[in-house]
Amino acid sequence: MTPAELRVENVTLRFGGLRALDSVSFDVQPGSLHALIGPNGAGKSSCFNVICGLYRASEGRVFFGDVELTRQRPNRLARLGIGRSFQNAALSSHSTVLDNVMLGRFALTRGGFLECGLRLPWITRTERRHAERAAEICEFLGIGDVLHTPVGALPYGAVKRVDIARALAVEPALLLLDEPAAGMNAAETAELAHTIHEIRAELGISILLVEHDMGLVMGIADRVSVLDFGRLIADGTPAEVQADPEVVRAYLGTDHKENA
Amino acid sequence: METFVQLVVNGFGKGAVFALLALGFVVIFKATEVVNFAHGSLVLFGGYLVVATRETLGWAGAAVLGVVSAGVLALLVERLLLSRSRLADPFSLALLTIGVDVIITEEIVRRLGVSLPFIGDAWDAQPVQVGGVTLFRTHLVAMVVATVLITAFFIAFRYSNWGVAMRAQAENKEAAALVGIRSSRVTATAWLVAGLLAGVAVLFIATQDFSGAGLSRGTHSIALAAFPAAILGGLDSTAGAIVGGLTVGLVDALSTHYVSFAFAKSAVFLVMLVVLVVRPSGLFGTRESTRV
Amino acid sequence: MWWVRALLWLALLIVLLALPLYLEAQWLRAGEYMMVGAVGAIGLTLLTGQAGQLSLAHAFFLLAGGTAYTVLAGGQEGERNLVGFNLPPLLALLGAVAITALLGIAFAPVAGRLRGIYLGVASLALVFLGLYFGQAAEGLTGGTSTGRAPEPFSLFGFEFSNEGDLEILGVPFRQSERVWYLFLGLLLIAFLLALGAVRSRVGRSWRAVRDNEAAAAVMGVSVARAKAGAFAVSSAYAGLAGVMTVLWFDILKPDESEFGTYGINVSIAFLAMVIIGGLGSVPGALVGAVVVNGLPQVLALYSTKLGWFTGTGEGAFTPVLISSFVYGAAIILVVLFEPGGLAAIGRRIAGRLSNPARGRE
Repeated sequence: MTPAELRVENVTLRFGGLRALDSVSFDVQPGSLHALIGPNGAGKSSCFNVICGLYRASEGRVFFGDVELTRQRPNRLARLGIGRSFQNAALSSHSTVLDNVMLGRFALTRGGFLECGLRLPWITRTERRHAERAAEICEFLGIGDVLHTPVGALPYGAVKRVDIARALAVEPALLLLDEPAAGMNAAETAELAHTIHEIRAELGISILLVEHDMGLVMGIADRVSVLDFGRLIADGTPAEVQADPEVVRAYLGTDHKENA
Repeated sequence: METFVQLVVNGFGKGAVFALLALGFVVIFKATEVVNFAHGSLVLFGGYLVVATRETLGWAGAAVLGVVSAGVLALLVERLLLSRSRLADPFSLALLTIGVDVIITEEIVRRLGVSLPFIGDAWDAQPVQVGGVTLFRTHLVAMVVATVLITAFFIAFRYSNWGVAMRAQAENKEAAALVGIRSSRVTATAWLVAGLLAGVAVLFIATQDFSGAGLSRGTHSIALAAFPAAILGGLDSTAGAIVGGLTVGLVDALSTHYVSFAFAKSAVFLVMLVVLVVRPSGLFGTRESTRV
Repeated sequence: MWWVRALLWLALLIVLLALPLYLEAQWLRAGEYMMVGAVGAIGLTLLTGQAGQLSLAHAFFLLAGGTAYTVLAGGQEGERNLVGFNLPPLLALLGAVAITALLGIAFAPVAGRLRGIYLGVASLALVFLGLYFGQAAEGLTGGTSTGRAPEPFSLFGFEFSNEGDLEILGVPFRQSERVWYLFLGLLLIAFLLALGAVRSRVGRSWRAVRDNEAAAAVMGVSVARAKAGAFAVSSAYAGLAGVMTVLWFDILKPDESEFGTYGINVSIAFLAMVIIGGLGSVPGALVGAVVVNGLPQVLALYSTKLGWFTGTGEGAFTPVLISSFVYGAAIILVVLFEPGGLAAIGRRIAGRLSNPARGRE
């Protein structure tokens, strides 16, 4: 199955009088690794939240293949084959790693209170099968040895990986990663870049990455879109974007120093 | 028509008292995001002290003592219990206040025993006739006192250092701390203010005019109507607390007369439910947006 | 180590099964009252602990369940205008549970839209509505002055009452002994269902909603549905506890004020069980129920023997009052020092036993 294309078409998002996004358009090609970058407050996370249906776009539409995402409730996302990680990880810290990752299998399983409560044979069977797959995904992300540890007891880098594992547990065709390297040191970031690269190589899925860390983005992305004050100011290959004078002015000029 | 006017005036009289309670409730919530389930027990505590000391101190002295004690008790609850648990989230702290409420309420109800004293001596049960309308003095005094206190509160909230600090803290706790606002003092003052207001409210609640019942467990359940008042106004809105309080008072007075006494309490809560379904954060409350 | 745990549970079950052979009726009744509490507390720990929705409406669903059972199983009584459907008790019990679940769902438009603490206050509304309903709907509840006697439970012709002579191992099995087994069976079902649900996708969706609604939604959970579901399940548990309550008291008698069998104090007592046991812990809810519902019963039994707390009237320290102090204080202590409740303490002890080296760290 070739993954579908994600098309963001003229999306505008207003909060009161504030324009968080101003007619933003870009495409994520099937199987590509696409990065969405910009200085703090440029509207990257807002853009993500519009794609996920957590924010309603004031104008414009988002399509995933033939489906208009801007008309869907956020809980349809997983069923459409889109997985997402969160800037702040957004995990249940008291629950174990496996339990958190298994949440990603929610849309792939069924059974209500009574079926689950009675532990009907088919429930236990599917549960076991999905737990195996979840463990496999954790293994792939290098957190296979902490499956039964509460997330709250893990170091920060591992927590971020649990979040990515949960997004992958959806079995997505498109993976949305919201600042996966935020708060990581250089070594952890390099490791993460390697992991993201591997995810794409192994699974062949599209990845849309919101990121602050330029080094990470330029090293692995096929294509980069740059937001500044809610407007899309550049869209192209990493080399093209890096050469774009407006990008240099808006983003690299100020922020690159901090991150270097 | 005269009945209706009378009901409205009575409603506002009761509403003024609910507004005092709801305001205290909202002040605590704004400062700490804690829903104070112990509000009813502060009311009982203040009332009990008035009853216990009025023989020796005289009514006015006892009333002052009761109001101050309710404030001090609120302050103690905050300083001795809530401030000790920095790690606990507002949800757990709300649960903690339930524990506080149980202990204080049960002890006071035990001490009251079978006596159900009225405490509005100075003005209770002396209705006045204005035109063809009978007005309860308690409600009139309550309206005047509440107007004065609420005005004073809003002036303080707007202009005093505490008010500014409090609003800053409600807006953004970290930023407030960064500019040197001492969160612990703001929080403690919020509790003190809420306790004082509860202490004033009880002087009007445990009266023949207001409820026809003296200080008892029933006083505590009347005070519970401060919850719907605060909620329908919006938990984080001081103006909402006033509107909510008056609404609750009106609904209470009108439904008591037109439906039944037993229904009045449910009516107050039903109105709250309707408001919540339409506006989940109350009439004037800030809508919470999801942050990820 | 799972088998050690399984063995312990099995041993507990055997003890509970054997107790009616040894205990006097009044002690059995005390135990039965704890089981009523346990069923309700399990429901509340699912809602408040697992799904993060504070509810003070538990007492309302208790009343609703008790009323539904009494009406469904009871007969028409022309003189008092009582409504009754004469259904077999088992059907009436299931009907009562279904009705309370539906009432919980009816509250979903409110429950689904509000965040935890708002819901807690909003749910108070139901207790007041219940109070009014109990007084107003005399044809169903029998009214506050006389109440209405529930049909004793019976299963395939076997009555859980003093009807007929039954003797096992030389011990006469009368109502207290029979109801003990009925309640134990109901509690066991309630307990196992809850454990299964908590470990499954259903429990996972509740925890996700509790911890981060946005993340839950993106993972495919319909937040409003999950909240409504938790509310319905919790109400059904409270409804079952309500059926058990009227069977235990042998009467359905609505309260005259907010303080009573179905009053705010009961909602708070259930909340206390859940907090003391540890929010979200199903076994913890059992322990919490033993403490909160057991204490007044046991104190009352001891006090008649030893002459403690027997005072009445003004200023007396009754067993109920002492128990209120104890669980009020327990709530405060748990929040301050052990937010995980007794369940967390239990887990720590278990961890120490299975791994002494780690425990000493």
